[in-house]
Amino acid sequence: MESPPVASKLDQEEIIYLDWNNAFDILEKAYRSGLFVLIIGPKGTGKTSLVRRFASEMKKELDSVNFSLRTRESHLVGSKTLNEGEINFVEGVLVKSMRNGTLLYLDELNAAEADVLLRLDEALDDRRQLVLKEAEGQIVKATDDWFVIATINPLSHVGTKELPPQLLSRFPVRIRLDYPPEDIELDIVSRHVTIDDSKVRDVKHAIQLAKSLREAAAVEELYYSPSIRETIAFAKMLNTGLSGRRTAEVVYANAYDQWGQVEYQKVMDMITSIFGDR
Amino acid sequence: MVKIASPVMRNDVLLDIATFLARRWSGNDKVVIILMPDKPPTAKLDKNQIILSLLNYYPGTDFQKYRQWRVALWFESMRMKHSSKVLSNEHAFGFLLNTLETKRIEILGLREWEGMANELMFNEGISWMSRQLLNSIYGRYKIAEAFSQYFLTGYLKGELFGGEFDKVKKAADYANEIIKEAIDNNYGTNWMEQHIPKLIKILELDSLVSIPLLSPRTRVGASLNQNDMLKQVEKVVQMRHKKDDVQKKTKDVYEGQDVLQEFEALLTESKRTESKGYESLENFGLSVPDKMDVDETQIYDIDLIQKVKAAFRDWKTGWIERHDESGDEFDVETYVEALPKTFIADFRLSIKTKVVILLDHSSSIADVELEYKQATIALCEALHYLGIKFAVYAFSTDKQQVKCWVIKPPNIKWSVVSARRLVQIRASGGTPLAEVYGLLLPMLKSFKPDIFVTLTDGEPSDFDAVRQMVLSYRKMAIHMMAIGVGRNLNDSVGIGHNLKYLDYEKAISVSRLQDIPKKVIKLLRSS
Repeated sequence: MESPPVASKLDQEEIIYLDWNNAFDILEKAYRSGLFVLIIGPKGTGKTSLVRRFASEMKKELDSVNFSLRTRESHLVGSKTLNEGEINFVEGVLVKSMRNGTLLYLDELNAAEADVLLRLDEALDDRRQLVLKEAEGQIVKATDDWFVIATINPLSHVGTKELPPQLLSRFPVRIRLDYPPEDIELDIVSRHVTIDDSKVRDVKHAIQLAKSLREAAAVEELYYSPSIRETIAFAKMLNTGLSGRRTAEVVYANAYDQWGQVEYQKVMDMITSIFGDR
Repeated sequence: MVKIASPVMRNDVLLDIATFLARRWSGNDKVVIILMPDKPPTAKLDKNQIILSLLNYYPGTDFQKYRQWRVALWFESMRMKHSSKVLSNEHAFGFLLNTLETKRIEILGLREWEGMANELMFNEGISWMSRQLLNSIYGRYKIAEAFSQYFLTGYLKGELFGGEFDKVKKAADYANEIIKEAIDNNYGTNWMEQHIPKLIKILELDSLVSIPLLSPRTRVGASLNQNDMLKQVEKVVQMRHKKDDVQKKTKDVYEGQDVLQEFEALLTESKRTESKGYESLENFGLSVPDKMDVDETQIYDIDLIQKVKAAFRDWKTGWIERHDESGDEFDVETYVEALPKTFIADFRLSIKTKVVILLDHSSSIADVELEYKQATIALCEALHYLGIKFAVYAFSTDKQQVKCWVIKPPNIKWSVVSARRLVQIRASGGTPLAEVYGLLLPMLKSFKPDIFVTLTDGEPSDFDAVRQMVLSYRKMAIHMMAIGVGRNLNDSVGIGHNLKYLDYEKAISVSRLQDIPKKVIKLLRSS
């Protein structure tokens, strides 16, 4: 059986997050009201950074689960193991988080299979408790300050499913996190990478390009939508001495070659009309 | 038949890239491109349409034609974004307003798309060749043309006499002031329009003087001298590019390397689609819907497309996961019972299947035509997304003749062009399924699909002949499947019975059209 690699305690070092749409404030108010929060947004919009930053500010320990098709119920709840002839129950991240009252971060919740979600639903309803059929029907009750934040990617993302409505209702506060406006994105990138004055123009161009590609992907004209991570990668590559245009080719355009020459050329044309000269 | 723009470049390939570029440049996802031979480029703002000519409208080599066409597309996209009104060029008032707007949107456009600068210089150079020589104009519109030349480029082609130049210069100075003020204060087209009467007064024109419109190619004739053009490009570069390296810059601008790769890729794509070209299709009795001026957006139901795609995400990854219990039981029974299902088995799912889809457009579909088309588009989008090789044909009756339409041949990528073909087919006539199967036979013998799905109302006019044809396809190892499209549940049940009798390997019927995509893909999966 797989060991549960999904649970990890995120470190609490200085986390870079720019709260450009006041998501932080909503999170805090929801926390004070004991309401669980769902963050909806495409990948690479800083969902995880936001949650890590929130945990760090609130001085709350963070337990996180990154959901995928392979996430099993046992990863969340726990499983029995055979140790020196004795059967023991090893608690999963959900049970631990409930007992310790930590911040439980459920990342990409809609990537999980339905049976996994059902078990989660049990813990999230108003009673905030879980009956461990795996451990002689033991009942785990969550502490009062237990808090849960989940994120989902929009349905257009590979590997995502619709979230069952009953589970959706367990997260009555919903925050939409979209890609930031261009000036904010520049600000975010400059917090991750030092941008020399002479390179600001190129980074602005990259942000404009990314915005165009995201818009095209949103209406299904392209099959991939670049995230803020790519903009940060662009700035880093630019700092190594590559030209803006060349960096845009390697960071953005080449990815589209997998859908054929014409798709690639469409993106190259965007690069040409934004960056111009080689 | 589709007319071919140049010996090699196909219009549908042009349409695909133009749609993409116009939407990105203008930031308007609803822009529809319409290609019309010899029509000057125009933006119809209220309809979200950009009308473009074919490449042959422009003079020069094939590549130079493409570059001018692309710049025209950019200008119209900028008009779409920054203008609120486009008047007809045929009268002085509209001509002057559009001329001023051209400069305003160029300045605004270049702020965002500064990489277009080279192409604009090239365009200015080459379009100068087709500008009219002022000495040869005898009509009253001479001064309007002179103003347009001087205002947009800074110089005149030919000479003006009798104080005309002073008028032109004064008008150009005034126009430049207006543009500056408009840009500085973010004023739009309506504000600009208020100043046209004064401009007309300076030029001493009548606002209704008509301006003849000629295509650039007509003016320059076939004799475009490349050396003259190079010199003209150099002149433009000298004026616009205020740096030392004029010669190098001129070479770059003249050669247009940045756009060359794109042009070559489009040519390759055109050749690829040409090789099994449309010409030969007519011999098989198949037709290609060839209108390039229809709006396909009405049959795009993005919501439905997203849903269908989302439903088949696991196909995209190539993996489908099934949770089976397996392995030998060992002694501690309770231990095993307490465990969740432990062992996981993965099955790789192949999507190498080749699929042909035939769409019934008989009159029984007519009252649900739009939903039917939307469902079909969603199906095709999903198949394309999943990377499945597929072809789409449709049939209807046109002027009492059965037409079998090629919507998407197997060798052409799915794009808006195919959607455009679909949208123009009108549901009419009966269901002569056997005849259509017969028409398709030679094509399908070469494509050799694994699966042939027919979407039909289930009431073929020739039952026994259809059975025969279905059997002969099955003998070619093609899995024959049918989806009956009913208007309600009762209808669907009846159609289901009919289809069973027709000897399809699998037949299902649907009463909710939105279910079509999922049903088809599930059929493919189970085969």
